[in-house]
Amino acid sequence: MLQYDRDTVPAISVSKLSHAFRGHQALNEVTFCVMPQTLHGFVGPNGAGKTTTLKVICTLLKQNRGEVEVFGHNVRTDPASVRRRIGYMPDHFSMYRQMTITEYLDFFAAAYGLPLERRDQVISDVLTLTDMDGRRDDLISGLSRGMQQRVSLARVLVHDPDLLLLDEPASGLDPRARIELMEILRELRRLGKTVLISSHILSELSELCDSVTILDRGQVRFSGPMNLLLDVPGEQPLWTLRLLRPYPQAADQLRGLQGIAEVSEPEFATGQDFILRLTEGTGGNDLLRMLAPLDLPIASVARQRRHLNDAFMDLTTRGVR
Amino acid sequence: MLNGAAALFTWTLRMDNRYVHPHLVRAAFALFILFCLSMATFDAFGTNRTGLVFFGLVCQLNVVLIAAAGVSYFVTAVSEEKDAGTFALLQLAGLTPLAITLGKSTSRLVSSLMLLVSQIPFTFLAVTLGGIRWQQVLAAWICLAAWMILVANMALLCSARCNNSSRAAGAAGVILLLWFGTPAALRTTLAALGPGTLPAGLTQTLTQLPLLLEIVSPWKQLDQILHQWDSADMLGSQFWVSLLLATLCFAVSTLRLNAWTRPTEDGAAGQEQGGRRRWPVGRCWRLPLAWRDFHFFSGGRTLFMARWLGWLLIYSTLIGIQHLQLKAWNWALTGDCGLQMLLLLAVTLSIECVLLATGTLHSELRQMTHSSLAMLPLSSTRIFIEKSIGCGLSVLPTLSWIGFVWLLSGGTLANQIDGNLVLTWILLLIFSTHVAALLSLYTRWAAFPLTLLATFVAFFVIAGPILLIPSTVGMLARTHNFQNSLPLAWAITIFWTWVLLVLPIQLAIRERWLVMVRK
Repeated sequence: MLQYDRDTVPAISVSKLSHAFRGHQALNEVTFCVMPQTLHGFVGPNGAGKTTTLKVICTLLKQNRGEVEVFGHNVRTDPASVRRRIGYMPDHFSMYRQMTITEYLDFFAAAYGLPLERRDQVISDVLTLTDMDGRRDDLISGLSRGMQQRVSLARVLVHDPDLLLLDEPASGLDPRARIELMEILRELRRLGKTVLISSHILSELSELCDSVTILDRGQVRFSGPMNLLLDVPGEQPLWTLRLLRPYPQAADQLRGLQGIAEVSEPEFATGQDFILRLTEGTGGNDLLRMLAPLDLPIASVARQRRHLNDAFMDLTTRGVR
Repeated sequence: MLNGAAALFTWTLRMDNRYVHPHLVRAAFALFILFCLSMATFDAFGTNRTGLVFFGLVCQLNVVLIAAAGVSYFVTAVSEEKDAGTFALLQLAGLTPLAITLGKSTSRLVSSLMLLVSQIPFTFLAVTLGGIRWQQVLAAWICLAAWMILVANMALLCSARCNNSSRAAGAAGVILLLWFGTPAALRTTLAALGPGTLPAGLTQTLTQLPLLLEIVSPWKQLDQILHQWDSADMLGSQFWVSLLLATLCFAVSTLRLNAWTRPTEDGAAGQEQGGRRRWPVGRCWRLPLAWRDFHFFSGGRTLFMARWLGWLLIYSTLIGIQHLQLKAWNWALTGDCGLQMLLLLAVTLSIECVLLATGTLHSELRQMTHSSLAMLPLSSTRIFIEKSIGCGLSVLPTLSWIGFVWLLSGGTLANQIDGNLVLTWILLLIFSTHVAALLSLYTRWAAFPLTLLATFVAFFVIAGPILLIPSTVGMLARTHNFQNSLPLAWAITIFWTWVLLVLPIQLAIRERWLVMVRK
């Protein structure tokens, strides 16, 4: 997790954002913040207001109330500066299908005002990044869904934006294409881009994102670092101890330790796995120090966390809007 | 099979009923009837033939609008499923080709016949107004219904045959153009050649051919009904032959539907093979949207050259005909040949401009690329201007030929052409392209016929005041001994037309575009 000082300007700062469509309150006082060079997940059930928020951030939609800033530029008063620094990939395929990949990227590079001599290099770079070098002269209409999604991603990169807004980039992709897409996103973060990714595929987001915002019925249910979300609130964290082989005295030895409040075995126990609840004030380092003198064949010690799915279900309300 | 066809039929009708736009179109038609009524009242003031004038106007406009609906609305019957990639789903749902053609085309036909039906109560007013009998009104409606059925099924054939709606519209347009244009072209050619130039047998065949094509002509049938009722039939040959040809088109569409659809589903499309284009289009220009619209919307270099060569062919043919008439070579077209060439160029340019205007913005909506465009550092005005340049380039062949013909023959043709008429045409062309662009942001396939309707009304409502400006300015200029009054009058006319007429439409286009982007 990157550390920021107080003076760091957030990549996105959304404050008390509200918007209504024909009497329907799509967003209600939404507030969250995305720091530069992070991957920020934006999750919520259908109709939660994710796309509306993204459209406000990318200046396509003017909000009713609230302030939204992108790298310090207000989206309402300075949309031109905002647009120069962002790349928005909508949740639907919006492509000139009769163009080849190179023509498509060349078109957008020219539209962003890149001179002819620079366009070749930029197109080559984004094609390399998205691993489509060999398909540059293919017609977009002949590409698979996963490839078209890569072309879309390449398109938003041609003007080298600092912030990428990706609305459901993995929807409809097969597992392989999804994994490859996530790899590209990791690479983009490594290159210093800030990525706001709206997605339903929670398992991948939990591994990918540094921070997350959960939106439900137009309201923010959680916004902050992913670690904070995945810890069970109000409870001492659980730890999982795995042994290399079954060890009959292990449970008794563990119960004998002072810092451990409770030892249990998971369902279908094999004598190798134990779940430990530590006492108040005992941390991971203390646990390792306590375990070291014991004669246990330890394979791994890991902190147990909620899955993002559980957090999501806890924070959002049942039903579809 | 019948269940499937009925389901498709009722679904399409229900969709038609649910949206507000079809109802607005019908309301526009009702207003159009009232407009025609007032026109006829003025035209036949003081005579007892107001009803005839009114009804004649309505019928003629309906013929044109039905033809326009053929190349826009009816051609999408099957091709809209191909465009959306849902044709295979219909087949998977167990619908037979007959169920598809019946379900998709009949709903459109019924919906359009409703437009005719909505006019009937008004048009029976014609009988009250005088100059026409109710039998003539009935016969005219039968003639129009037959024409609509023929056009709808011819369009269905194109829709079934072509890979997408654009190609289907092009094919239907060419068929209608040949159908209407061939008789006139043959007659002109034969008249120019004079007797004895061609072998007698060929001359007779070429003389008979226009008559054969005109059997289904609604113009001829309507003329007979309205002006020679004593020799006309309620159900004339036009009615029966139209129904016969319509049935034939329907049968061929149904029987060949599966065979014609297969290559589309496999992805084979014209020049594009193996996912690669054979003809590269070169690097993107400094005006990227102009480049996009020229190459990927309006046909690009290939169609540009084809158009230019097509005009060369027509020009050469007319030069040949003129040579036969004058017995001497003259590279400038004079007299009727020159006028016909200019008229053809003007009509083609008008159609090209309106068709391009209906498609340029809508193509972005259809491909859902409007939000991507909105994110570009280009203002919406710049986007519209660039797109206009791209489309403007594609009509350069026609424009350049107008310039060429005028350069060579302008001296001899100038006294035969009314300057005010040319000015009105230019202004109406600008007006209609703007209206077409605006309507295309609401509806794609109804935009073309609705634009024709709006332009027709605009011609009478706007042309008068427009033409009043140059005459008033000219009069004032003469009073003050100002020499070059004509250019000044035209400049003032163009300026006020833009301020009062075009600018509000441009603002409406921009507003609607932004609404679509936000959606």
